[in-house]
Formats: sequence, C-alpha cells, structure tokens
Amino acid sequence: MLKRVSLIASVAAFAALAIVVSAVAGPTSAAAKTVTCGSTRTIGVAAPITGAAASLGSQQLGWAQFYVTGWNKSHKTKYKIVQGDTQLPNAAEAIKVAQRFGSNSKILVVVGPAGSQEIQDTTAALRNAGLAFISGSATRTSLTDGSRKGYFFRVVPNDDQQAPAVANYITANLKSDHVFIIDDQESYSQGLADGVQKLLDAKNVKTTRDSVSQTASDFSSLIAKIPSSTKVIYIPWQLSAKAQLFGQQLKGAGKNIPLFGSDGLFDPDNFTIAGSYDSFFPVNVTSATIKAYASAHGGKPDYFGVPSYVAAQVAVNAVEKACKTGKGKTTRTAVRKAVASTKLTATLLGIPVSFTANGDVSGGGFSIYKIGSDGEYSKVG
Amino acid sequence: MSDFPNNPEDTKVPAPPDAGDRPRVGVDEWVASVEGRRADRSLVLRARGRVPAPAQLVVVVAAVCALPFLLNSGDLFVYGLFTLLYALLGLGLNVVVGFAGLLDLGYVAFYGIGAYGYALLASPKYDLHWQAELAIPVVMVGTALIGLILGFTSRRLLGDYLAIVTLFFGQAFVVFVNNANPHNITGGANGIAPTDPLSIFGYKLTTTRQYYYFLVIAVLVVMAGLWSLLRSRTGRAWQALREDPLAAEMMGTPVNRLKILAFAFGAGIAGLAGVIFAAVSTGIAPGAFDTSVLITIYAIVILGGTGSLVGVVLGAVVINVTYEALSPSSPSTGRWVFYLALLIAVLGRIRPWPKLAAVVAGTAAFGFAVHAIAGAVSSSATAGPVTEGGSLTGFIKHWVVIPEHPGSAAKYAYVGLVVAVVALTRLSGWSRAIALVPVLYLTAFVWENLLIEQPAVARLIIFGALLIAIMQVRPQGLLGTSRVEIV
Amino acid sequence: MRENQRVSDSVRRALPGFLAAAGAVALLGFEIADKGWAFFFQITLNGITLGAVYALIALGYTMIYGILKLLNFAHGDVYMVGAFIGYGVLTSLGGPLNPSVPVWLLIVLMFGAAMLGSGLLGVAIERFAYRPLRAAPRIAPLISALGVSFFLQNSALLLFGASYRSYDPFSLLGFGGAHFGSSVFISWIRIGVVIGAIALMLALIFLVGRTQVGKAMRAVSFDREAAAMMGIDVDRVIAATFFIGSALAGAAGVMFGLVFSQIFHFMGFLAGLKGFTAAVVGGIGSIPGAMLGGLIVGLVEQYAQGYLNGNWSDLFVFAILIVFMLVRPNGLLGTRAITKV
Repeated sequence: MLKRVSLIASVAAFAALAIVVSAVAGPTSAAAKTVTCGSTRTIGVAAPITGAAASLGSQQLGWAQFYVTGWNKSHKTKYKIVQGDTQLPNAAEAIKVAQRFGSNSKILVVVGPAGSQEIQDTTAALRNAGLAFISGSATRTSLTDGSRKGYFFRVVPNDDQQAPAVANYITANLKSDHVFIIDDQESYSQGLADGVQKLLDAKNVKTTRDSVSQTASDFSSLIAKIPSSTKVIYIPWQLSAKAQLFGQQLKGAGKNIPLFGSDGLFDPDNFTIAGSYDSFFPVNVTSATIKAYASAHGGKPDYFGVPSYVAAQVAVNAVEKACKTGKGKTTRTAVRKAVASTKLTATLLGIPVSFTANGDVSGGGFSIYKIGSDGEYSKVG
Repeated sequence: MSDFPNNPEDTKVPAPPDAGDRPRVGVDEWVASVEGRRADRSLVLRARGRVPAPAQLVVVVAAVCALPFLLNSGDLFVYGLFTLLYALLGLGLNVVVGFAGLLDLGYVAFYGIGAYGYALLASPKYDLHWQAELAIPVVMVGTALIGLILGFTSRRLLGDYLAIVTLFFGQAFVVFVNNANPHNITGGANGIAPTDPLSIFGYKLTTTRQYYYFLVIAVLVVMAGLWSLLRSRTGRAWQALREDPLAAEMMGTPVNRLKILAFAFGAGIAGLAGVIFAAVSTGIAPGAFDTSVLITIYAIVILGGTGSLVGVVLGAVVINVTYEALSPSSPSTGRWVFYLALLIAVLGRIRPWPKLAAVVAGTAAFGFAVHAIAGAVSSSATAGPVTEGGSLTGFIKHWVVIPEHPGSAAKYAYVGLVVAVVALTRLSGWSRAIALVPVLYLTAFVWENLLIEQPAVARLIIFGALLIAIMQVRPQGLLGTSRVEIV
Repeated sequence: MRENQRVSDSVRRALPGFLAAAGAVALLGFEIADKGWAFFFQITLNGITLGAVYALIALGYTMIYGILKLLNFAHGDVYMVGAFIGYGVLTSLGGPLNPSVPVWLLIVLMFGAAMLGSGLLGVAIERFAYRPLRAAPRIAPLISALGVSFFLQNSALLLFGASYRSYDPFSLLGFGGAHFGSSVFISWIRIGVVIGAIALMLALIFLVGRTQVGKAMRAVSFDREAAAMMGIDVDRVIAATFFIGSALAGAAGVMFGLVFSQIFHFMGFLAGLKGFTAAVVGGIGSIPGAMLGGLIVGLVEQYAQGYLNGNWSDLFVFAILIVFMLVRPNGLLGTRAITKV
C-alpha cells in the first residue's frame, strides 16, 4: 500500500517538475538566427528515396543533385545537399526529416517534400523552424490556401490549373462523351481525378470513376469493366511504368481506347502507348541540360524530377541573393523573402517562375502532348 | 552441450569418481547447464546486481530527463520522442506477444485507430476540440473495445492462423482509411490535418520538449501498470497461457477470456501511443500505419526480449537510435556508427587479445599496403574525394582506395563482400582471422565508395544486417530469458 | 439416439461453412445476373493466371513451414531476385526487341537461370540466417527473416536503382491469344504461364510423393528427431527443401515478369504477403492446400476488382478472407493438429 502511494506521489511530483522545466524557454527560434554564409552553403532535399515511391524520389534527388553539381562547377560559392528520406507514404518519416532539417542550423532552405500529404504534415515543423520549402510535385490546390503563406512554394502549377486544361482538351478536341477515370489511390491522383471529373460533369460528359492501387500489376479485371463505348480513359497516375503496362494490357484485351495521362506520366522512355495523350509542362525535350542528365544517368532523362531541378535552382539562387544582401551573413527569414521574390524568366520546365503571395507559381501552364506511333511525344495543345 | 557445474560440492549427492565423464545422478542435463550458467555471470551483471533496483530506476529516469538539455530540438524529436513512442508501442505489443504468446500481426492498426480517433475528436474536421483528459481515455477505451472484438477471432484460431487474420485486419484498416473512406470520414490518402495539440486541463503541449516529458510520464505509468499487472493473477495466468496453453486450460485458467483480455490491453496501449502521435505530428496520413512500422515494433519487442518490460524499452532505444544515427541527413554520424559497429563486431567475436590485436593491426597494414600499391599503379585509382569526411578525412584518404571513377567496380565489390561474409562463416580459428583482414578492408572500400553515396539505402541494408546479426548472437533478445519451448 | 446426435453434430459443424459458401454463390449469382456470363468468364480466367503465380510462391512458403515451422518472410524477396535474374538474362541476350537466340530458348534460359539462382540464394539464406537459430525460440528466425528481407530488397535497390525494369513481353511474344466468343480473351502468354505453373506443381507433387528425397522431406516435416534417428541427413533435406521452394519462387518471378511486365525492388514484399496469405488460406503445411489457396486468393482478388469499385475491392478481399479463416480455422486443407500431451 505504501509502495503504491509513494509510486503515485513520485509520479505526480515528477509531472509537476516536468511542467516547470518544459516551461523554461528552449533555444531561441532558428528562424531569426544569423548564419554565416561562408564558401559552402547547405540546402536540404527531402524526397522519398526508399520505400514504395523510391522510383519517384530518386529522380527528384538526382535532378536536385544535378543542379547543385552544375552550379558548383561554374561558381565560386559551393553548395551542399543534406538528404532527407521521407519514405512516402509513411508520413511519420517526413515529419522526422522536417524536424531534423529544422534543427540543423546550417540548412537555409528545403527542396521538397514530394507528396501533398507530406506538405500538410510537415508544415508545422518547417514553419516553426522558419524554413522555406519549395516542392516540385505537391499539386493539391488547397495547399496554397494562404495558411502556408511565405513558407510553402511550388514550382509546378496546381491541380486547379491542370484539370481545366485536360477537361477542355477532352471536350473540345477529342469530343468525348464517355470518359472513364481511374485514380491510383494516392493523394496526387485523387485530387486531379476529382477535379477533372467535376469539370466534365459540369459539361454533361458521362464519367465513370474507378480506382486501382498504385502497387497493382494486374489490370485485366479493371480493363474488362471498361465498356468499349468509352472514348477516353483518364489516368492521372504517378508511375509511368504502370501506365505503360495498363496500356499494353488494354491493347492485349482488344480495346483500342486512347489514354490520357497527367504530368506524372510524361516519360518518353517508359510510357509510349501510341495514340495516347499526356498533359505536361512545356518542357523542351531536346534541351542540352536534359541530354546531359540522361547521359550521366544511364540514358534516362527522369522527367518526373525536372521540377526538382527548378526548385533547387530557386533555392540556390535565393540563398545567393540573401547572402549577398546580408554581406556574408543571413537568416532563414531573409532566405524566405528571397524565395518569395524569385523571378526566373526561363526555366527547364518551359514556364517562367515567380510566386504568388500564397506560394503558387504565377503564369504556369500546361501543354497537351500526343504520343505518335513511334513513341515520340509531340505537342498538340 | 551441458556445461558442467563448476563446483561439484554444490550438489547434495556426493560426486562419483568418474563425475567428469557423465552428467550428475539425479539431475538432468538441462538443469545442470542452467546452474552452470547462473554461476558464470559476468562482472557487469554482478555489479548491477548489487545496486538496489529503485536506485537504478532513479538513475535511468534522471538520465532520460536530462536528455532535452543535451540535444537540440530536432535531435530530441527523432532520438528521444520517437524512441519513447516506439517503446510505448513495444510495451503494448509485449502484452500480446510476450505475456500471452499470441502472434498479432495487425497490431499497428490499433495505433492507427488511436491516431484517427484523436484526429476526429480534436481537429477542425468536425470542429470538435476535445481536451486531452477526455479524449485520451475515450480513445483508449474505444481502441481496447476494437481489440476485444479482434480478440474474439482468437477463440477459433491458433498460432499462425491467428497471425494471418490479424494481418488481414491490419491491412484492411489501411485500405479502409485510404481508399474506402465512406463519407470522407478519414480523409482518404490525405488523412486528417491539422490536429490539435494535446490540451491537458487547459495546458497546451506545443514544444517537442513538453511532448517528450509527457511521453516519459506516459511510459513510466504504463510500465508501472504492466509491472503490477504481471504480478497479479491475470499476469500469472498469461504466463501460464504462454508457456503451455493446454496445461493452462487443464488448470482451469479461462484461456479464451485471457486471450481477449490480452488483445484489449495491447490495443489500449497502442491507442494511447496513437493519440500522442497524432498530436505530435500535427497531422496524420494512412501511410504512417503500414507494415514497415509493424516490423519495427516487432523487432523492438523481440530484440529486447519478449516478456521483459525493461528489455522492450532497451530494444526501442537500440533500434531507434541506430536507425536514426544512420539517417541520410547526418552522414558523418552514420560513418562513425558504421565503423564503431564493425569494431564492436570484431571485438565481440574474436578472442583472445593477441588474435584480436593481430587482426586489427593486420587490417590497418593491409589497407595502407593496398592503397600504396594502387596509388603506384595508377594515380586516378586513389584520387577520389572522401565524402563527408569530417574528422576522419585524412585517415580515410590514405587508407581506403577511393578511385576517381569507380564505375561499377564498387557494385561488384558489394556482391563480392556479401559472398565473402557468407564464406567467412564456414571458416574457423586462425584461417578465419586471416581471411577477416581483407574482408574488413573490402567492407571499408564498399562503404566509402558505394554506401555513403546512397545513405538512405545503406541505412536499411545495415538495419537488415543488424537484425540478422543480433538474432544470431542473442536469439532470446537482450533481456529475455532463454526459455525452453515445449513443442 | 446416438445416430441422431452424430448427424446433428456434423450438421452443426458444417453449417457455418455451408452458409458462407451459399452466401458466396448467391453474391456471385447476383453479379452474373447483373453483368453477364462473358464478363464472369473473363475475370475467372484472369483470376486463374494470377492465382497460378501466387500458388507457386505459396508452395515455397508451405514447404518451408512444413519442414521448419518457420514463416520465411524473405521468400518474397527470393522471388524478386529470381525476376531480376531473368531480366538480366533477357537483357544480356539482346533484350526483348532483338533477342540473339530463338525465343523459346531464351525463355528456357531465363527460367533455368532464375530457378537455379533463386534456389542457391534460398540455400544460402537457410545456411546463414536460419540454421544457427534452430534451437532458438520460434520467433527469433522470424526477425532474422525480416532482416534478410530488408537486406535483399535494399541491396537490389542499391545495385539496380529504383526505376521499374520491363520485360516487355508484348514485344517479345506479341499480343496473340485465344478468343472465346466476342468479349472473352486470354493471351498465349497467360495460358503458357498457367500451364507452366501446373507443370511445376505436378513435378513437385511427383517429387514429394514418389522420390526418395520427397519421402525424406515428408519424414523430416513429420518428426525431425525420429527422421534423424532413421539415418536421414536432416540438414541436407532442409537445404533441399529450401532449394526447391526458392526455385519455385524464382520461376514465379520470371512468370510474373512475362505476364505483368514490370519488376522492381519492392515487388517481393507485396507478392510475399499474397503468397503467405495463399499458403495459410489453403492450410499451411499442405502442398495441395497451397495450390488451392493461391487459386482462391487470385480469384477473390479478381472478382472483387471486377465487380466492385476499386476503392472497396481490396477491403472486400480482406473481409472475405477473414470470414473464410473464421469458418475454416485450419485453412482449406490444413489438418487439425493433434496435440500430444
């Protein structure tokens, strides 16, 4: 009995002590801390390097590293990347990465994270640390509703810009009256599919909605469900390899229905179903940069990561600007301001990059590409 | 196999003249070996045995509380907070696996149910903002009830069949939350964000430090509760159930009720962990509750020793600290951990001292020799830069061969290394010690040329290798007892 | 009186199974009435193909469980390695667009290399990760298996990179197939895979039932100590079991590549879960059970995907399987273990 009482008493005393101690102010906010710029500056790159989405994260990391290596070769100031493995869709890892980046006083800006749900979950940690985070792939429209103003930026246009481009093309050029929409049960895909479905319904186009897991490889029953009267199948997926597989299985089942993909599927190496369409940024596929990247990476241009290249460009240039105005010393707040005032007239994405107040890229647009019989992508809209 | 007891005088039966050749009369082999092992305890354990338990507890708790003053906020989050969260989860799983002996592969679903329960009760989604002192008990009880329902399946299913049904349940939860999502109750792939911080009687927990102390209190309370539960009638009944279900049933213990109770308790603790996780991470998504988390929790429980409370916490510390130390965000820490682990492995397996010194010296000399030869053959063979060298750069540059253009040599070296390590286990004695020298150097070569370039992947490879190695060295876990299983 | 009691007892025991089966037939019947027979046949054929691949993986699980009472979680990754070995052979012999040897020879070589490689890998894993733990509590090899799984998966990621590799079977083998009626179609590749899987399974049944090695395997799985006393080299038999089970997984990997085209480092984890499910549903430890279990899991998956919306299909699969396990707690063909007191 006495043991139990003393146990409870000690726990209560301990709790009181803990409250007192934790009320003691912690270290000063990292946002305002002055960092010496030095000759080597650090940026953080958060991407899903391992796990189910490794094929996407490795592309993003690769392109970010490519930009930094290229910069280091031609500039006196050098940049270093600290990697963070967010293991999409495991949001807990993304939060850990955000916390680590926040406490690493050398990191001045973050490229990433990749997923919309990751942005949601890491906002608090990154904002408390005062870091700006520039994503190359989080497209959910609600992320720029103003609650992340000044902290979150994205170099890719959001779903509210991509969905109308797709819906307009489907109704105007393809004149389809029955569209089958399949999402891959991920946040990115669901957002786009919802957007396009809403727009098509408003234009009185019949839509059927279904979904398939991103890890599925057998689409045969799904294909059997698709009626032959379907004019277009819209697949806003992230994995081009799966889209290719789907297209081949569709053809194998004898249904020659054109596919319509989204920006995640732009991949002239993997997704080459003749007669398909894809919406993507107006990238110049013959650019020297892309060729250089491809030759350094076994011939693969990894288009999914190109926005991360531009994000790294924004990040590095912002740090340069902040360090110059601060004359060798800067704070994360200053870097954030520099990011917000970014003005790049031409980027690898084919669109100029400057940010609205809420963090969206202003003036972004989508082009529609068609895949020819030889697998070549040509811009049609 | 039987270690002969050191002191034959300990036995009551006088030792026969040929006592050295056969087991003692009246005592079977296994009992004799246990006695031998008990007398053989190491210096550290005997010293620990002399310090009274409450003093040990105070020292440990004081060290744990001092941690926030030694680490910055981010490190405290990944090293301190998550370790405690995993320890809490491990304690809950320990009730099901360690106390009651049931293989529950759907445990992580309760973690998720707790998190989503809190997120629904304390977030802008349905504009409910329940206080923690109300939300925590409600969510814990709710999760425990669901655990109870799952426990009902254990009435019909045994062993591995129970495992698979619980696995289905765990998978079904993630699928339900991510895809099915009726009336958008769970937010689908986007989850629910933001969630309110824990608000206890009006006092809001906002900083990492506050959550850390809250978790320390939670872990201590749960440990105390489980400790007294283990010593109660229910605890003893669980142990009987674990050791031999048939005999327990014969003795009249209500086996089915105990199984269901174990599920409920484990689920309740997981629910608590889920609530804290939801509050700490300000937002939850379905991906945080899938199989990789389950594997981590199982590794913690088994590594720490099933059935041992302190062992589970220790297991959480070992696994999480190693995992985070190898994080790609801090590659220089990773290098230290890697080389230290290598050193510990070598130290632990090679005795006596002369052989160990010979191996270490031999590896160093071998390395310098190979480096010199490679440098003489071609200057580009050693011209590559040391990645993230930190304080060890000088040493590594002159010891490890880092070619300027490694190409795929590093990948072949990796495959060769795996084969070499497997082959090494077939050797023994001095031939093993001699073969160890080039293998150690090859390990350093592969690390510096391949693994450090891809730290995220290297972390998981090392983690996997660590699990295999620890199981070989200590299959009963750190603080588990080597039990004899009745088959 | 006794007669009646026995009859009513057996009726009571069979009742849940009967009800569940009746419910399943009713559900299917409703869907057939709604969507037609052709659709039903199509997805049944799809289910059989998928089921064949799952069955091969499940066989490996079941064999290893039968002999060691160990759930070998690294089995799925052995399957992944087999798929990659097959891919390696394919690309080194010219690739799917331009093979330098006749196609049939290429396929034989792919299978041969994958089965051999996977088999050897399985033996190495057993020797290195499981044999030292034979005397340990049963849960220790489980963690060791998980460690091996992590290791293999991420080694593949390290060595081959994260991008998907494609067998591109349509370029290699074309789009041809058999048509039934106007809307039911199955490609030659799928037919080939099913036939190949059945052939392998028959070979296995022959091996286990009629050869010396098979007899030894059955003896060791029944009672290891007695088998050792009878002069059977237990270590060698266990190694042989691992070899055969892993070789089957390697063959399944190549088949997967040929039918579904894409392989990547994480595929073993997912397929391993399905294979494990199939093995347990069929009754773990029973070889015909693993085959039936694979078939059941494949069919249930395809029916769910075909008849339900994608958002609910996975959940439905789990619900069906949970109900199945509750109705038949020892799996379909698992024997109710007689516990010796």
